Amino acid sequence: MVGSNRNRGVRRTVRYVLAIALLLVMVYPYLYMVLNSFADWTQIDKQLLPTKYSLKSYEWLFTGGETGITRPWLHAFLNSVIVSLASTVLMMIFGVMVAYALSKLNFFGRNAINNFVLFHMFFPAIILLIPTFLIIQRVGLYDSYLGLILPKAVSLWAIFMYTNFFKAVPTVFIEAARLDGASDLKIMYKIMLPMSKSITTVIFLFLLMERWTELLWDMIAVKSDSMLTLNVLISQMFGPYGSYPGPLYAASALLTLPIIIMFIIFGKKFQEGMQFSLK
Amino acid sequence: MDQRNNKMGWLFTSPYLIYSLIFFFGPLIWSFFLSVTDWNLIAPTFNIIGFENFMDALKSPSVHSAFWVTYKFMLIFVPIVTVLAIAVAVLVHGLPRFKSLFLIGFFLPYLSSGVVSSLIVKGLLSYTSPLNVFLRKIGLDIDWLGTPLSALFIVGLILAWKFTGYYALILTSGLESIDKEVYEAAAIDGVTERQRFWRITLPLLYPSLYTTLILAFGVTFGIFTEVYQLTGGGPNNATNTWQMEIFKQAFTNLQAGYASAVALLASVATFISIFIIRKLLEIWGKRNGWV
Repeated sequence: MVGSNRNRGVRRTVRYVLAIALLLVMVYPYLYMVLNSFADWTQIDKQLLPTKYSLKSYEWLFTGGETGITRPWLHAFLNSVIVSLASTVLMMIFGVMVAYALSKLNFFGRNAINNFVLFHMFFPAIILLIPTFLIIQRVGLYDSYLGLILPKAVSLWAIFMYTNFFKAVPTVFIEAARLDGASDLKIMYKIMLPMSKSITTVIFLFLLMERWTELLWDMIAVKSDSMLTLNVLISQMFGPYGSYPGPLYAASALLTLPIIIMFIIFGKKFQEGMQFSLK
Repeated sequence: MDQRNNKMGWLFTSPYLIYSLIFFFGPLIWSFFLSVTDWNLIAPTFNIIGFENFMDALKSPSVHSAFWVTYKFMLIFVPIVTVLAIAVAVLVHGLPRFKSLFLIGFFLPYLSSGVVSSLIVKGLLSYTSPLNVFLRKIGLDIDWLGTPLSALFIVGLILAWKFTGYYALILTSGLESIDKEVYEAAAIDGVTERQRFWRITLPLLYPSLYTTLILAFGVTFGIFTEVYQLTGGGPNNATNTWQMEIFKQAFTNLQAGYASAVALLASVATFISIFIIRKLLEIWGKRNGWV
């Protein structure tokens, strides 16, 4: 008995060591990025972990250093915040609305719309890319916030997730609320949404993350420097700043850290929500 | 089904319906139309040229490469990410404490933008990087992104790095739903650890494994950022994905008509491939008695 206990203890330790080692390997690229953004320029990309540090890279972001070429960093960062928050909020609102109708309102045409959502979700979106660009251009939304936001104002995935979860909310609640004279809008936001709080966190974070890191559309829909999102600006920097990796790492850290902080803040809720949504 | 429900139902779904009218049906019709024109993204008029674009696309070496590159990425990315995700899930599932902390840790790479992961990979593989300095010392001088096979592997590995934690999260919840009594019964019967994994864990994990496999196969049809950033589709079209090819033709070569034809072909290829993959996975599960 004693032997098997010790055996179990050893096995447990081995598991922890393996898990920590694997985790370090997985997180190392982030560490490499952050440390390189603070590294002395003689050490960038030359050491697995830099040993000399300076703030020069961050300074360069805003002053352009010897080149004097300043890029609209803060502006791009704000653009990213505006565009991704606006898109995500719209995707959430429309997702909840459509899902509520599809799961709880027995209306004419519901099945047809429901089937169409599924079809739309699995439709290869690549075919729509060029014509979407044309539509945005023709209606005068090229190079504008609305051009960045509107084509990404609806998420089929969000509709699908919410529909599944709303189906699980007992109809009794809704009937009771209706007897009390509550409107559908009220039922939606006062009953349905609070009941699916945990998956709301998951859906919100996933949508936000995806919008925040979008490259292809943000690159196509925009031309002027003042409209660039941070991700696109970094992508462009691969060119002109190619020989200055320091500022690139600094910009990348600025792009990555906010989203990591979001996930850490919502970490517990996110985990609960994932567990719940995967049941 | 009363009058009130009808009204509210259509009202609540109207934002989506309007959206799909503008951003689904609109583009869809446009793209069918564009694919039979020689439009160059700028010209004021459209010349209808029939199916010439499709003929050209079917003969184009870079379209052929875009077709095959998808399956090459599948062969590299799907097995690696699946094995890693199962490993992470089983490993973390067996930890008595800090489970969720570990899971969130493994999930972090999913939050990276493809631009950022490409930058890091470029740094780690640069000529003067510690890895390459070391390799040159032992006589190996590898041009990581300039060699077709290694470029394919690198993009595949970046994606595997990114998605492992996400899929592991899905698999862990699959593991958690497995009844502990099954394992206890097996322990009494003296089942070895290896048998336990292959005969109990894997079959009971199949539903979540199916989900992650479908997701992983889907990823290979949409690769763009990493390739755009690291190789531009090269070397010699070795990493030229559908999205890369369409983007290049439309926005670099300004062949919007031709690019629309390529996009249509890509959609058909994607649609058929995913349908076949789903069927194969279902047959595989059924044959093993897992579903």
